[in-house]
Amino acid sequence: MTALAVLIALSPLAGSAAAIADARARVAAVAQAAGAAVALGCSLALLVILDGRAPLSGWDGFLYVDSLGGFFLMTVAGVTLLAAVGSIGYIAAQEDSGELGRFQVRLYFAFFGLFASLMLAALETGNLGLLFVLVEASTLASAALVGLEGRARSLEAAWKYVIISSLGVTIALAGTLFLFYSGSALHLGSNLGLTWPYLLTHAHALAPQPLRLAFLLAVVGYGTKVGLAPMHTWLPDAHAEAPSPASAMLSAALLNVGMYAIIRFLAIANRGLGSTYPRAVLLSFGFASIVIGALFMVRRGNFKRLFAYSSVEQMGIIAVALGFGGTLGLYGALLQTLNHALAKAVLFLSSGDVALRYRTREAGEVSGLLAAVPVTGGVLLLASFAVLGSPPFGLFLSELTIVRAGFAHGSPVFPLFLLALLGLAFVPFARTTTGMVTGNPPPLASPYRDRAAVAVTAAPWILGLAALLVLGLWIPAGLDTVLRHSIAVIG
Amino acid sequence: MQSLSQTSTAGVLLDLSGVLILLLAFACLASKLFDRYVVYYGAQSVVLSFAAAVVAVAFHSVELWILAALTLAVKGIAIPLVARRLLVTRLALKRDAAMSTGLSTSLIAGGALTAFAYLVIRPALLPYDTVAAAVVPLSTAVILLGSLSMVVRRHTVAQLIGWLIVENGVFLGAITLVATFPFIVEAGIFLDIVAGVLIMVVFVSGLTRQLAEASAAELRELRG
Repeated sequence: MTALAVLIALSPLAGSAAAIADARARVAAVAQAAGAAVALGCSLALLVILDGRAPLSGWDGFLYVDSLGGFFLMTVAGVTLLAAVGSIGYIAAQEDSGELGRFQVRLYFAFFGLFASLMLAALETGNLGLLFVLVEASTLASAALVGLEGRARSLEAAWKYVIISSLGVTIALAGTLFLFYSGSALHLGSNLGLTWPYLLTHAHALAPQPLRLAFLLAVVGYGTKVGLAPMHTWLPDAHAEAPSPASAMLSAALLNVGMYAIIRFLAIANRGLGSTYPRAVLLSFGFASIVIGALFMVRRGNFKRLFAYSSVEQMGIIAVALGFGGTLGLYGALLQTLNHALAKAVLFLSSGDVALRYRTREAGEVSGLLAAVPVTGGVLLLASFAVLGSPPFGLFLSELTIVRAGFAHGSPVFPLFLLALLGLAFVPFARTTTGMVTGNPPPLASPYRDRAAVAVTAAPWILGLAALLVLGLWIPAGLDTVLRHSIAVIG
Repeated sequence: MQSLSQTSTAGVLLDLSGVLILLLAFACLASKLFDRYVVYYGAQSVVLSFAAAVVAVAFHSVELWILAALTLAVKGIAIPLVARRLLVTRLALKRDAAMSTGLSTSLIAGGALTAFAYLVIRPALLPYDTVAAAVVPLSTAVILLGSLSMVVRRHTVAQLIGWLIVENGVFLGAITLVATFPFIVEAGIFLDIVAGVLIMVVFVSGLTRQLAEASAAELRELRG
């Protein structure tokens, strides 16, 4: 089992290895996709093995995987696979057109693999100090992807991303230190004492005042990575400037890793402090994010920025769901995480195709997608309705669960407010994307080399959309079990 | 862990170092010359390494001696030297004009943040006869002042120095609160690596003259 966990974290490095060995874009991307497929397969296997058993733990608690970790591993590995397959067509097309030089292509795959590997490793550790280290390291690895195109705009976005996230994660370190301090009475002399399971089982012995501060600092710190308002300012720039498959990785994988860290702190805070204080913190940041995300969607400009603000909104919804709490709230939060990851991966990957064909990222300059490229247009349209929570896609089901959790927890004000905000977000987002797919297309040249490249590019969107549709109609028994076990771990 | 008392020699020295570190953070906030930023940061790191040495003596901890030596070597000497050579001299930086508020406004805000730090940390959080009760508010204030100088300054090099000050504040808190815990040395080494990477990023982008030339004041493209 330990070997399996190690393999999950190391296999995305296949792409990095290929890049270092000076492979061309197509070869490196295929190696990357193969590595991601291995990671996904292993994380599914790990989930099956973990089913109902004690969590995997070893090396003084530095390695620790329970159902919750397994669930996030599956999500992140799945997104990595989609994005890696998406890179095959996207990066190769950019290499062919000369927009990316040889060195930039190598840089892309070297850091893509490293980024994925660090995120997966972060989900596999029980040591909260190491968690901080891995999250910060993944920031540095992904900053290279944001600044890859080397224009003034992308360098600015990369700098903004790296400095704001580093500050955020440093604040999370302060939170982690306060958490350790709150356990002074436990004499945390060994590495085992600094692990999440140990602190959770001894949560009652933690001093409440430092624990409150620790939780708040952790939410602010890791919330910076999640993109919770008002710490979200790096997010739209980074998502807009990164190459599209890298944007998919940021939005659908990285944000979830930040949320995972918050969930770990939430579990300890819930047990040590009761649920009132953590709920107030999460609801405040969550609603602030939804409002900010919805308001900034009104501005019609770069479509990748639009999707990025939708990520801010969606992360806010997940934070609100965690704040509602209870089995229903946590179930909704986790399901929403998976659904959002799939929908955003599809949106960003298909928007990459739009950017390649139209040579612009401005929504106003794109029209007639459905007529010009029916597959891309159809996928973009369906995925935008999916991400807005329309039935029959998965997000409808998870958002319904979250609203129900809100009504179950007492005051109907919050869930009603949430519903109103969801409606508010619907209009500007749908207006922009429908404007892109309708109308008359300008003359377009295919950026791809042959039909096979087109098919490979479209495969991850269709796969992701199909998964979203399935999750909207039916939750497989296996997934349901995993979600229930995850809730049992943190509840 | 056992905590140092406020009246022990080590406690007094640690408290004194904390005050010096806070004053140096203020000095940095009040300065407008890139040279000075680097000097104040270096001096702050030297005081921090002294504080770590004091705690190391008090707890007879080899790990903390390592941390003190590392802080002196990396943050006290190497980073200021490298930052000066690569950034200030190479990019010919002198006066930092790109500030979003006046100096006096930012100093008043800094004072308010320091008061806020005392307000948040003092009551009921820490046993009041320990040195932590005196030093943790100081370190919180240093973190806030570092963040403030990142906010009011628009130049990338100045923002980098702001982040380094935040990091010093976190470590001052760490050696007073959780000095005897494992992990602290590793975290220190790791953050030094991060600092190195950030300096490299600024250096490289400064050389390509795409970022440093337009000291964020002119970077207006990404908004909304």
